[in-house]
Amino acid sequence: MSEFLMFLTNGLVMGGINAISALGVSLVVGIMRVINFAHGEMYIFGGYLSYQLAVGAGIPPVLSMLCSVAAVFLGGLAIEKWLIRPTYGDEMYSLIITFILSIILQNAALLIFGPYPVKPPSLVFGATNIFGLFHYGNQRLLSLALAAGIIGAIMYLVRRTWFGKSVRAISQDREMAAMLGVDHLKVNMISFGLGCALAASAGAIIAPIFPVTPSGSGAVSLTAFVVVVLGGMGSLKGCIVGGVILGVLENLGAAYISTDYRHIFGFIILIGVLVLRPWGLFGKRI
Amino acid sequence: MKRAGLAGVFLIAILVPFFLNQYWLHVAIISLFYVMMASSWNLIAGYTGQVSFAHAAFAGVGAYTSGMLALYGGVHPALGIIAGTLLAGVLGLGLGGLCIRMGGIYLSLTTLGFSEILRIIITNEEQWTRGTMGLQIPGVFSVYSKTHYYFLFLAVTLAFLVLMRRLLNSDTGLAFRAVLNDELAASTSGIDTVRVRLMAFTSSSAMAGLAGGLYGHYLMLITPDIPSLGQMFLVLAMAVIGGMGSFAGPIIGAIALEFLSEYIRIYGEYHLLLFGLVALVIARFAPSGMVGLWEKIWRRR
Repeated sequence: MSEFLMFLTNGLVMGGINAISALGVSLVVGIMRVINFAHGEMYIFGGYLSYQLAVGAGIPPVLSMLCSVAAVFLGGLAIEKWLIRPTYGDEMYSLIITFILSIILQNAALLIFGPYPVKPPSLVFGATNIFGLFHYGNQRLLSLALAAGIIGAIMYLVRRTWFGKSVRAISQDREMAAMLGVDHLKVNMISFGLGCALAASAGAIIAPIFPVTPSGSGAVSLTAFVVVVLGGMGSLKGCIVGGVILGVLENLGAAYISTDYRHIFGFIILIGVLVLRPWGLFGKRI
Repeated sequence: MKRAGLAGVFLIAILVPFFLNQYWLHVAIISLFYVMMASSWNLIAGYTGQVSFAHAAFAGVGAYTSGMLALYGGVHPALGIIAGTLLAGVLGLGLGGLCIRMGGIYLSLTTLGFSEILRIIITNEEQWTRGTMGLQIPGVFSVYSKTHYYFLFLAVTLAFLVLMRRLLNSDTGLAFRAVLNDELAASTSGIDTVRVRLMAFTSSSAMAGLAGGLYGHYLMLITPDIPSLGQMFLVLAMAVIGGMGSFAGPIIGAIALEFLSEYIRIYGEYHLLLFGLVALVIARFAPSGMVGLWEKIWRRR
């Protein structure tokens, strides 16, 4: 029983990470109708930069995480401005360009960082006894708390601030929003940067627990996409619920069925959603 | 004039094996494989505007189906290749049927997922596929000859291109382009856009299965590299660099990139990075590729 609860908690931790990574995809899809196929690379860069800054440059771990997320955010702004903006209105070209970008970044990461997994230093050590049932690593608990904090911050940003109002206005009706004076170029750019930064923060938070490698980026992107389809394209609430469902199912599946086939559960869910409820759990029915 | 040009190209293609040594003949055969791959990918991406990331995966379906039938069932490669083509088509129909009505983004996501899953299955089912070690399978001919393979690939590629040309010039081809240019206008003029896209996706997937089956039996060693995303990227880069949406673009792109990659072979792992950068610059600044650039220069004169 306590073993099952531990796998469940592992799933919850991964679920939180899945949720922030998927929020990054969903935010961009909702506003720009663009899927960033280089999403997984942003996650990997988040983990690697945080490792390089902490271990290579000797910066305190917390600061190195923040710096790596900020660097990826700036990178995302540049990508939006130079590569995505010229493709507005042509969905196909944005897919092709971000796919090419993912291949470039993946190979560049292999070249710069090498193929070996890296593990940035943990922020906290030791373990906590959970309700007298099992011991659970503090770093994992902290990851869950950080993920929850980021989810809360994004929800606040979208629901309560001026930026969020513009985001929702553009998602609902781009032309009308533009007519009412919403600067959609600026909002697009910031959202895309934020999408990349969310992926990077997921990578930076999880890397001390599960090391990152350049070749792992495909699976990361795919997980985020499955969560977005499961939750409903463009729905933020869907990302959180979908992320936790996928995290728990993958962990229980890996524990009780097969570790090699961990990522297959996501694909089965994707196909299941497309068959039964193609608009997802919280998406708008088409 | 155009006819004379085509006849010239045809003549050169026939004479190629008599001038190239074994090594470059191999490169020529591989280029023909990529011509089939890039052209059939162009059929969906360039002509109906849907990006499939499972094209290499369908080639893998063709290669592994035919290879395993030959190895474990003693099925003749000719029949095996047909079986692989059909299976790739059926899988394409299934995947496409699930997600095409939801729009282009869903097709791209699902095909990406399919391609990852296929790679995971092939890598893990070692007792059948020998995983990343690769599976040794019999060839098409009882006596190995690169010249024979070259003519086989040439014949299939030509048949392939003629068929594609006919399809594109028919009413169906017109419907493809109508769907690409303006989905709403196409559907109001009575075109079932979902059906048209599904048809394009299915036939293009089957073509990838055929190309993959041939490729496997030529290499006689099939590995999870065939259905990998790296391979997918090469096919995409060939179509993008050559010129998507034009008939000649992917053909030129495939031959140019395959020969070029032989010259830059010494740089090994860098070649994906290099092709990536070139493809990115072309996609960003010259979306109609080399063919489009050429036409622009031609018109300016």
